[in-house]
Amino acid sequence: MSVPSSRRYLSLWLRRLSTDRIERRLPAPADGPRVVVASIESAQRIVALNDAAARLGLKTGLALADARARYPSLPVVEADFEADSALLDAIADWCDRYTPLVGLDAPDGLVLDITGCAHLFGGEAALARDLVVRLAHQGFAARVAVADTVGCAWGVARYWHRETRVVVPSPLAGEGSLELQHKEWVRGAASPLTHSCLLDAQRSPLPQGERARDASAGCSVNVVPRGETEAAALPLPIAALRVDAETVAGLRTAGLTSIADLVSRPRAPFAARFGEILLRRLDQALGRIDEPITPRLPVPAAMAEQRFPEPIAREDDVLGTIERLARRLDIVLERRGEGGRLFQTALFRTDGVVHRLEIGTGAPLRDPPRVRKLFQERLAVLGDVCDPGFGYDMVRLAALITERSDPVQTGLAGGDRAEEIAHLIDRLGARFGLRRVTRLVPQDTHIPEYAVIAVPAHAAKEAPAGAPPIEQDSLLTVRPLRLFAKPEPIDAIAEVPDGPPIRFVWRHITHQVTQVEGPERIAMEWWRNERGQKLTRDYFRVESKAGTRAWLYREGLYGDEVKPPLVPRWYLQGLFA
Amino acid sequence: VEVRECLEQNMNNSRGFAMGSALPQPTLQHLRQALAGIDPSLGPCLPEPGQIIGTGVPDIDAALGGGLLRGALHEFSPTAPMHLAAATGFAMALTARACGTKGQLLWIVTEFALMEGGGPYGPGLDLFGLPSARLLVLRVPRAVDALWAMEEALRCRALDSVIAELADDAPADDLTTTRRLMLAARQGGCPGFFLRYRATDAPSAAATRWQVAAAPSRSDIYGGLGRARFDLSLRKNRRGSCGRWFIEWDHHERAFQPKISVAMAPPALDRPDRAPAARAG
Repeated sequence: MSVPSSRRYLSLWLRRLSTDRIERRLPAPADGPRVVVASIESAQRIVALNDAAARLGLKTGLALADARARYPSLPVVEADFEADSALLDAIADWCDRYTPLVGLDAPDGLVLDITGCAHLFGGEAALARDLVVRLAHQGFAARVAVADTVGCAWGVARYWHRETRVVVPSPLAGEGSLELQHKEWVRGAASPLTHSCLLDAQRSPLPQGERARDASAGCSVNVVPRGETEAAALPLPIAALRVDAETVAGLRTAGLTSIADLVSRPRAPFAARFGEILLRRLDQALGRIDEPITPRLPVPAAMAEQRFPEPIAREDDVLGTIERLARRLDIVLERRGEGGRLFQTALFRTDGVVHRLEIGTGAPLRDPPRVRKLFQERLAVLGDVCDPGFGYDMVRLAALITERSDPVQTGLAGGDRAEEIAHLIDRLGARFGLRRVTRLVPQDTHIPEYAVIAVPAHAAKEAPAGAPPIEQDSLLTVRPLRLFAKPEPIDAIAEVPDGPPIRFVWRHITHQVTQVEGPERIAMEWWRNERGQKLTRDYFRVESKAGTRAWLYREGLYGDEVKPPLVPRWYLQGLFA
Repeated sequence: VEVRECLEQNMNNSRGFAMGSALPQPTLQHLRQALAGIDPSLGPCLPEPGQIIGTGVPDIDAALGGGLLRGALHEFSPTAPMHLAAATGFAMALTARACGTKGQLLWIVTEFALMEGGGPYGPGLDLFGLPSARLLVLRVPRAVDALWAMEEALRCRALDSVIAELADDAPADDLTTTRRLMLAARQGGCPGFFLRYRATDAPSAAATRWQVAAAPSRSDIYGGLGRARFDLSLRKNRRGSCGRWFIEWDHHERAFQPKISVAMAPPALDRPDRAPAARAG
């Protein structure tokens, strides 16, 4: 009945995310109960609690006043949903080490598409176990399930143990208990788990630590083999279908508690009573309809990665690794006839922090030494932001954006000048930002400050020939060499209100005008607005007694645009050589 | 070791010379050659024609030993802040001569300098003889970044000229910094032009140091403004003497014209001047 799916999904549930977040910050491991409260419906209610609190019989949704009545000394922490979500984001970032397809499953879970990734870690069970162990070392209790569908993995991760009352000891507590877990499973619910998974889990002993052991309570790894989705999903409770509590309660009153109860009955009445969502969730869980995940980050066009048994921390090692990875990317991209326009290096620190560096290039790039050089500039700028701490245990290089790049015949004389310049632009761009390396592109307008604009050099391929030619009617160039982006107001004196200036004061220095050319009248374009932008300008080229040559203008026509007693204002806009 | 041998030989010879038996001149030559064998930069510097930028003004070229050295650092500063554009203009004119018709150049400017002195203006550069399409402008936040970028760009062999503008002199007032830039310029064979915003006497490894002021231009017969005219003071020259000159930049011909003095050469009003011919632009 179900469509055989080729994909494999891993659902990660951080069952005590809020309390783990608080407890891992504490100086010493805390065993006591702890609850997190938030104001819901004008009452302080428990929104999260740790295992110790759960053993006391407290539940989420309970009013804090009731909990306090039972346990007056109960430690209470105010909920911080933003911190929780930031933490989940950070964990998702870290999960990138397993697969580039990581989706958020708010508020306390993640979904990873591990299709084709598992063999790199020695199988799905080994991957999942590695994930749980590493999270446990960081102080997180995690439950993980791998299945053919997102829905099934979600349900198994969250509901398998709870409802079937299987005692699940920690996978970190040793091999024996791990075996026990699987045996329990097999006995309890005719689990579809295969023994290969069990053997996998037994092969390597698991590391143990103080904090890890504390957090390990309630960790679990379940792998539903390929094609056994239904067998795994049917015994699960209806809440495992990702439907709201109201629907679950409604079905319970009808005597339906497990997914199997739903599957064996006609569908139409369910759709009529509970809406389409219930059946859609059911189909998604059983793999009858497809459910893709939404990756958090763009999926790169090509990537290469390297893991290290011993973390690396020296900059040279990191750059060397980047160059090696670039060499591997080079092969992939060359086969496709492409080059990268945007590269990203992800540095996975041993303590879970992920640094991402990005560099853009002006032209499609594959050459490994150049990629290395660009990242070297980037690292040099970032400096302390990229603190390696205890080192990086994984480095990944990805080409996020690629573009077609045809092979070019190189000359015998060596490097091409244009290519050299393109690489220099990339290097300067990696250091200062590509927007800071600009070319001047002329525009089709007479207004001096808009007649040329600075365009990022990597974007400006060829200068369009759209600028109107300027009439050169003087021995001096009619346009200045330097132009102020913002014209500087000056005090100028003219013999008559619309005549040329005879004296002006710029930056506290008085200049006597000895020679003058002008006016050159430049009217604003009709669509310019009224806010001082529309006034006609009369430009004068003047030379002072000392020899300074400046470009001045008077804003507004006297008596026409500027009515007396107001007088037009003067500005200095540029300087001639 | 070679040098020591030479020196010993030299001393022996000079002793000999004292006794009137040997000539010192060939030995000195030999010593120079030996030094040049160790480090080419120490040897007698006789640049090839492609290695220099000639100004085209005989007096200046003679003082410079043929022209400005291409693979070297040159400093320009205005005599007063209001002459900044003149210093820019002289550097631009030299760049126009250095780049020829195809070369690319990089102009590095700090954000502060952009506010203080204005940015390079494309249409003005085009008219001045330096097509703005060949210009790359890099804006950097700090002066030290400008120095770094300049060194990086000088080493790149594809550029024909690199100009760095510094409104704040402090980071460049350092012999080590300028020496690094000088070495980079020599490596890349590309001239580096340093445009300082104020004149300084701080030590520098630059090959030449110029102070530039705008000089009153000679107007045409109709009373308009004349060509850009510079009052140049060569304050430092590693390969010759210093001096002071007045020159004009003919942006149409891309050539400097020597002018001795305005007073000594009054406009010839009795016969047609050559200027109107150039007025077509």
